[in-house]
Amino acid sequence: MSPPGFTFWGLFVACALLIAGYGAWMIWVERDR
Amino acid sequence: MTTQAWVFLGYFLVVFGIGWYSLRATRDETDYWIAGGELGWFTGGATMAATHTSAGTFVGTIGVMYTAGWSFGWVLLSIPLAYWFMVAVLAPRFTRQKELTIPAFIETRYYGKGVRGLAAGIILIATVVYIQAQIVAGGLIANTVFGIPTTWGMVGFTAILLVYTVVGGMVAVVYTDAFQLVVMGLGALFAVPLALRQVDGLGGLLTLVQSAHPLVFTWETMPATLLLTMGLSFFLGGVATPEKLIRLYAMKDMRTIRRGVLFAIVMILGINLLVFVLALCAIVLFPALSTGDLAMPMVATAVLPATLGSIMLAAITAAMMSTVDSLLIVAGSALSVDIYQNLIHPEVSLRRRMWVDRIGILIVGSTPVALLLSGVGEGDLVQFIVLLFTALMAAAFVLPVVGGVLWRRATREGAAAAMIGGVAATFAWEVWGAPTVEPVLCGFLVSAALFVGVSLVTPAPPASALEPYFEARTTSESA
Repeated sequence: MSPPGFTFWGLFVACALLIAGYGAWMIWVERDR
Repeated sequence: MTTQAWVFLGYFLVVFGIGWYSLRATRDETDYWIAGGELGWFTGGATMAATHTSAGTFVGTIGVMYTAGWSFGWVLLSIPLAYWFMVAVLAPRFTRQKELTIPAFIETRYYGKGVRGLAAGIILIATVVYIQAQIVAGGLIANTVFGIPTTWGMVGFTAILLVYTVVGGMVAVVYTDAFQLVVMGLGALFAVPLALRQVDGLGGLLTLVQSAHPLVFTWETMPATLLLTMGLSFFLGGVATPEKLIRLYAMKDMRTIRRGVLFAIVMILGINLLVFVLALCAIVLFPALSTGDLAMPMVATAVLPATLGSIMLAAITAAMMSTVDSLLIVAGSALSVDIYQNLIHPEVSLRRRMWVDRIGILIVGSTPVALLLSGVGEGDLVQFIVLLFTALMAAAFVLPVVGGVLWRRATREGAAAAMIGGVAATFAWEVWGAPTVEPVLCGFLVSAALFVGVSLVTPAPPASALEPYFEARTTSESA
């Protein structure tokens, strides 16, 4: 049986990236206020 | 009394306590419908996440994944994208002028009471049917926990929901939602390690699940068109359903909205990923269930010890109640503010308004259970509309709301055509269209075509309708 690979772990990574992206965007929007 | 019954009793007492506290914090209609528009990021984000997470997450989602495998999980990514779009593009203009209800926004932007009545009518009918299905789920839970007949369970749940929502309005909904989110989070958080222990940990789970369901980690279980259009449905539903939009008015300012939505996204993703892992455990532990919808009840009763199992059932109940209470606010305000006070009896005194508001919620809250008790709408029709609910709301409201604050040329007639056409096309696709494509795609495209087409052939909106949402046209900006 092959390990689950991208289909499985990719979803967790994608969720983490989206949260990080949103956070970075938030900081960028408020940078000079 | 059983452990389960004690856990539920304690849970209901906390909810009532919050309702009682909220009565004292509610002084006027702004408090009652949008919690004074002064929510902070924690309460605002918590109520967003709790409203988003319904019994569908804990029973329906886990059920789909049980049958269809992990690829379905990727649809989840559309949710943070939808919230991000809502905060970055829609909210800055949408919240410039706060209203008490979404149909009230429609009247301000589209300069007409008729189009507001139309929006209120669509919201009212769709939410009442949606609440009906959730109440049926509540009746079944009450039957499992307290051993009382399902009918009594439905009446009981309606009564509990109505007591705190009628009394405390949005303030009660927001604070009970925050508490219910904690219950949901704890339920999912405790259940996962215990379920994993039964399948030899995460490594064991990943091996065992593939022998029980060889296609579980492939993309072959669901057609790509269905995955993509489901994602689109979640995205559009996330952007412009009334129960989410109204929370933008309830939060204090843009800074608060940005933080609140970040919190909501983290909670929604976290709870969903935990529930997804539970679905995999269910595939291994109970490989031959007749329907995926049984997966969660099986995990709650057969895997978890009694106390935790009842916390899990309480979590499902919390998910259900925190969605229904928000829909009660949306439907109640559509009835008493947008239809009664706006169209039928505009001269209601300020003092009597609060009573009208409460009676509105009482009516929309008792209608579903009254219909069920008289045998109307049991079974198929209700399930049919529940599946359609997000698609209907998305097809009816995304264009009038998002287009309304981004496009100056959008007119009253265009918005009305988009709402009617979107709803009709969604229904039509559900009945006659291909089952591998979600009806929202058809509804949204028809709604978009009518919104743009009809707007362009009707007279441009007056300046007074644009003034709250757009800068004055003195600069070189063109829309």
